[in-house]
Amino acid sequence: MTPLLEVDRLRISFPRPGDAPLVPVDDVSFALAPGELLALVGESGCGKTLTGLSLPRLLPAGAEIGADSSIRFNGQEITGLSERELRAIRGRRIALVFQDPMTSLNPVMRVGRQIIEAITAHQRVTRSAARERAIALLTEVGIADPATRVDEYPHQLSGGMRQRVMIAMALAGEPDLLVADEPTTALDVTVQAQILELLDRLRASRGMAVLLITHDLGIVAGRADRVLVMYAGRIAESAPTATLFRQPAHPYTRGLFASIPRLDATNARLPTIAGSVPRPDRWPTGCRFHPRCPVAIPHCSVERPPLAEVAPMQRAECWVAQGEHA
Amino acid sequence: MTREARIGVTLGGLLLLLGVAGPIIAPDPLAPMSGPLLHPSLANWFGTDQFSRDVFARVAHGARISLGVALIAVAISTLIGTAAGLIAGASTRSGSAIASRCIDLGLALPRVVVLLVLLAAVGTLPLPLFAVVLGLTGWPGIARLVRGETLRLRHAPFVTAAEALGANTGRVLWREIFPGTLGPVLVAATLGVADAMLLEAGLSYLGLGVRPPHPSWGGMILEAREYLGAAPWLLLAPGVALGLATCAATLLGDALRRSLQPDAK
Repeated sequence: MTPLLEVDRLRISFPRPGDAPLVPVDDVSFALAPGELLALVGESGCGKTLTGLSLPRLLPAGAEIGADSSIRFNGQEITGLSERELRAIRGRRIALVFQDPMTSLNPVMRVGRQIIEAITAHQRVTRSAARERAIALLTEVGIADPATRVDEYPHQLSGGMRQRVMIAMALAGEPDLLVADEPTTALDVTVQAQILELLDRLRASRGMAVLLITHDLGIVAGRADRVLVMYAGRIAESAPTATLFRQPAHPYTRGLFASIPRLDATNARLPTIAGSVPRPDRWPTGCRFHPRCPVAIPHCSVERPPLAEVAPMQRAECWVAQGEHA
Repeated sequence: MTREARIGVTLGGLLLLLGVAGPIIAPDPLAPMSGPLLHPSLANWFGTDQFSRDVFARVAHGARISLGVALIAVAISTLIGTAAGLIAGASTRSGSAIASRCIDLGLALPRVVVLLVLLAAVGTLPLPLFAVVLGLTGWPGIARLVRGETLRLRHAPFVTAAEALGANTGRVLWREIFPGTLGPVLVAATLGVADAMLLEAGLSYLGLGVRPPHPSWGGMILEAREYLGAAPWLLLAPGVALGLATCAATLLGDALRRSLQPDAK
């Protein structure tokens, strides 16, 4: 199947006057098939949010995409498009759902009005047709009594309902790809599961691809088709979800799994990964994980490993996982 | 509706009624009554002034003039100020710079001095034109406020969210940012009504605004100064009217702000 989205050698940099540019995303490549749910997992500052924002080119001011980077969506190159052409893609082909539903909805606008705004940004429809579609969308995202809720303000809704409204707005343009950036982080655990359930259901019913950006490996299990693990601006490991959970190849991924609390654990202290994520201006040479890596060999600090296959469908950016010994 | 809103609506309604119906039931505001500086009585509800004119009639006629001038002036300055502020806060770099410098220039010129020079140069203006001139000098404050609000909202998460769903600049400005600036603008505008009434009073006193013998509340207050001991009702009647009008404007503004900012407590 031809991929819906192909990201090739994505590099996002922030030029600094009189200094080397900051490169929070460096040489990231991945593909996404239509209807696939791909999870992008990583710690704060690893570049996962910037990667998501770069798809509809919504990067913050000052950010630059590398000259040889390529983002192809449905065969169309995104990196060279004008603002005007991008607006036709934003919401219509690629829609974003942000982390915080408390601040991502306009507090002075009724939620129905906000969904209608998202509809009319791309389609010419009558007022009553738009309202009916807004109610239908609210029904689709599982909001009870949508005919009443449509006329309410965001502060009258719970956090989970607001995130459902955000998703309804994102669905308004009938996108082919939904980028959800930490969509459940601000929500209660029980509500988190419901929202993920909803995303999974919408993907199935609409054939829509979903890029789920999260720091939580736990919410990935059982839902994502594939997982990309990001570390320090690069993809450390890429594997089908089941493979990744069964046999993580990269020491960083293994560290992440080890630091998830387990109910049957007997040891009192939770294992952690020593040290912290380096800042984008202090990235180590060679493999970026080697200063924190428990299995590092001399080669790791000298040369950066390629992202190469270590098992069928599983790729890891690690010399050791690729079979080298000290 | 809150109790404050109801009080504001009632007060505002009574003052408008005073302006609309008062002159019909009251005597001619320029015609002499039975004597000067008479105490309030059944014949002359608020007494008479130094020229034997009925104070109630003058307050009622003054309502039309004072409120009318202030409302027109504030409407004009709010419109200009909001437009300038939105452009300064949200448009492209060059457009924003031009609008911002215009606002700075407007803020740097003291309003009273500009009005004095202008009115001294052109002489007495017809009332509607006087209101327009008052409005044309009042916009920079509103513009500064709107610019600040726009800059604050420009990068609010919900604006980014709207852009992520394909909203263009005009849509973002008009649908997402403008409604958010309305609250502070309305508060500023209601205060501006009181300000405009006082400014009109001061200019009228200097013979540059509403000319005697036509009554305006501000003019009446300033005239009453000389008779403060002998006839305090001369000051009290327009003064209380001015106070109540300011009160009504503020309460109405607050009520409007609440209805526009639904999450305000």
